[in-house]
Amino acid sequence: MISCTEFIPAYSELFKFLEKKGGREAVLDFWNYLSDTFLGNLKDLVREHGIRGCWLYWTHTLNEEAADFTMELDEEAQEFRIVMHNCPSKGRLLELGRMKPYHDYCGHCDVLYRRVLEPMGYSYEFDGSGVDKARCAIVIRRVRK
Amino acid sequence: MPKETMRRTAADNEYLHKDFHGSLSGGIEYLDTHFGEAAVKEYLRDFTLAYYKPVMDDMKQRGLAALRDHFERLYAVEKSPVDVRLDGEVLTVRVAKCPAVTHMREHGYPVARLFVETTRTVNETLCDGSPYKAELLEYDGETGRSVQRFSRRRS
Repeated sequence: MISCTEFIPAYSELFKFLEKKGGREAVLDFWNYLSDTFLGNLKDLVREHGIRGCWLYWTHTLNEEAADFTMELDEEAQEFRIVMHNCPSKGRLLELGRMKPYHDYCGHCDVLYRRVLEPMGYSYEFDGSGVDKARCAIVIRRVRK
Repeated sequence: MPKETMRRTAADNEYLHKDFHGSLSGGIEYLDTHFGEAAVKEYLRDFTLAYYKPVMDDMKQRGLAALRDHFERLYAVEKSPVDVRLDGEVLTVRVAKCPAVTHMREHGYPVARLFVETTRTVNETLCDGSPYKAELLEYDGETGRSVQRFSRRRS
């Protein structure tokens, strides 16, 4: 068994393996597959609770991942924001000297959630300018009723 | 409605996100579907050689005692009981209920056809370059219950 605490290196190595086997296209196709197959809970929460569904979804995942983050929900403005001060996944990969992270490891966060939220009428902005220091930011806004 | 804010640091929570088992299973299933069984085994082998290198190095020094410690740590992290016994040159790992499979079954995640390889291929690869061999004596795909044995290869 591979422990869930060892998943992130396994994930990063999977991206590298897929790129070696099928190019960047295979990595993107896998991310789309994951989004379609495993993010039904995000979709259900947003369908039921609107923008608050994002707050509910990430409250669960980010706390279990022991992330260092600030999350904001402004229902009046229909806006949800995450500022990731230190991403536990990317942080672990950067600390793990013996394995080099997949070159676009954080790209999956841009693809997976966007694919769920945009068709539901939300915009999804991912600021990955700080990923080399395990930092990023996400802003989700309701754009269509 | 007032704005709500949540601020957390890493120290506020324990790092244990069991839904990751579902994502790994998804990766195994995707590889199996698009690239075949050999690719699943190749990927898990590559991962094991890279990630578990310290365990394999430790095995070269301490033999099966290193593996015993590895498995005790692994299941302790998952807060899951395991029976690990080292008897001379035989290490037996008995898992009544795999924490990964249990979590996926309880939360409705599909369990990949070849999820068993996260045990079999990983264990076999851990023994690479050592005088030991890994055998998966029993495995129940429904619960992940297993009996894993490591012993000295016949020369």
